[in-house]
Amino acid sequence: MSWMKRQRLIGYLFVLPSVLGVTVFFLLPLLFSFGLAFTNWLGPAGRGLKFTGLANFQRLFSDEIFLKALGSNILYLLHVPMSVALGFLAASALNQKVYARNALRASFFLPYLISAIAIGFSWMLLFHPTQGPINHLLRSIGVAKPPNWLASTSSAMSAIIIISTWHSLGFNMIIFLAVLQDVPRELKEAAAIDGASSWQITRHVTLPFISPITFFLLVIGTMNAFKSFGLIQAVTGGGPANSTLTLPLYVYRTAFRYYELGYASTIAIILFLIIFAFTVVQWYGQKKWVHY
Amino acid sequence: MRSQSAARRVLVTVIMVLAGFVMLIPLFWMISTSFKTQAEVFSWPVQWLPSRLNWAAHEKVWFGRLSFVNYYKNSLKITMLSVAGALCFGAMAAYGFARIEFRGRDLLFGLYLVMMMVPPQVLFVPKFIMFDWANIYNTHWALILPGMFTIIGVFYMRQYFLTLPKELQEAAFIDGAGHFTIFTRIFLPLAKPTLVTFGILDFTWNWNNYEDALVFLISEKLFTVPLGLNNFILEHSIDYPGMMAAATASIIPIVFVFLLGQRYIIEGLVSSSVKG
Repeated sequence: MSWMKRQRLIGYLFVLPSVLGVTVFFLLPLLFSFGLAFTNWLGPAGRGLKFTGLANFQRLFSDEIFLKALGSNILYLLHVPMSVALGFLAASALNQKVYARNALRASFFLPYLISAIAIGFSWMLLFHPTQGPINHLLRSIGVAKPPNWLASTSSAMSAIIIISTWHSLGFNMIIFLAVLQDVPRELKEAAAIDGASSWQITRHVTLPFISPITFFLLVIGTMNAFKSFGLIQAVTGGGPANSTLTLPLYVYRTAFRYYELGYASTIAIILFLIIFAFTVVQWYGQKKWVHY
Repeated sequence: MRSQSAARRVLVTVIMVLAGFVMLIPLFWMISTSFKTQAEVFSWPVQWLPSRLNWAAHEKVWFGRLSFVNYYKNSLKITMLSVAGALCFGAMAAYGFARIEFRGRDLLFGLYLVMMMVPPQVLFVPKFIMFDWANIYNTHWALILPGMFTIIGVFYMRQYFLTLPKELQEAAFIDGAGHFTIFTRIFLPLAKPTLVTFGILDFTWNWNNYEDALVFLISEKLFTVPLGLNNFILEHSIDYPGMMAAATASIIPIVFVFLLGQRYIIEGLVSSSVKG
């Protein structure tokens, strides 16, 4: 065997550890999960195991909690456009000449790195219904009955959406900041010479130029919203009365509270299909819907 | 004209400083509350700073029954081993995928891309069963072993190796050096900033990893910091300074890493998502 050929085979050695790891911890569990979704697997040992065909999938349609969790998950998506829009605003402000730019950038970005559960507990106190500073503030400006936030079924999801917007907007901001640097100066200058106002420049030069990134951030944010677990689990655990139960939490609860591992896998597969669909949308949609 | 743009600059700065304060309020509130007495927590108008530094809550967190010292040990062990593995195996695979043309390479890499979108919750159940079979359920290995293999790491480091010129490799081949020499002597030293960036990001992800710990660890002595925090809060649900002292304890390494490596973290996130 020639030396060059041998060097090529060495490629397998380089990727081998990683491929083994990815196979054992990602690929096999994923395939296993597809199999489990068609069984009644109960508890870790799976006693009385039977293949139940499509029964689990049929059960989804009559499972009110599942349908509710799906609805809540879609409602939860609201934080994505808010966070992208606020991230864009912050980035365009910081892209201008401002004082203390780095310190400002850091203060917007830091929350994103802090674990959602640590920060969730802080928000829990801020949102305290009777004594929390947020409701104190609302009452002092004349809101007679401020919402009970995390403690009430009608407002818990709003509180979660506010926290998530706050938590994720720093990420959107730094991505926008990076891309705003790439908007060609000549384009903006040419528009300014033609008498365009700064709003017109933003609307007709900057926004079209960054539209692929806006699209990307919306899709990524949506996918993350279907994977988001820690914050809601820690702050409300899905309550009160399942009002903040999203699909990832329902998977967890079905598997590790009720030990219905088969049915939990069925819900997980639905979750996977949703995320898969959004990935396809991202890959193909990017070319179609984004115009420069 | 000049004074107008200076005025605008001041105005934008003032607005952004106010917005920046709002962004930091939950963090500030957390740290400040941890030093307050129970009575001071909810006083209105808001008492931003405690009347005096009250360390009782922090003492409870670090030296009480549910001590964070132990959680820190567990988290550091898991995080360090995971990051080390992710860097080592990730860099090797990244080099293989970027710089060696072996058969089936692109197909294999395509599989990585598909695996990247699997939500972690899909893997909870099968991993739980598999770890139970392998007797690593409720051990730190249930977090360390999967932590050693990250797809995003391979992806990110490969992206860097792709940018290096071909001549680098060809010159080394002519001198009779094989891929192992090229990788360890030329590519790894060049990739140092990329490795540091990914290492820092991976550190924060592992440190903050709550869900895997929640699913795979049940013995309290094995708990990591996020799980310990959760546990502490459940046991002290009305002791607000205590809760906030525990939350503060859990974020110290992240704030520290952020202050040291801010530039790396931001560059890393931007290039792994935008260029990816």
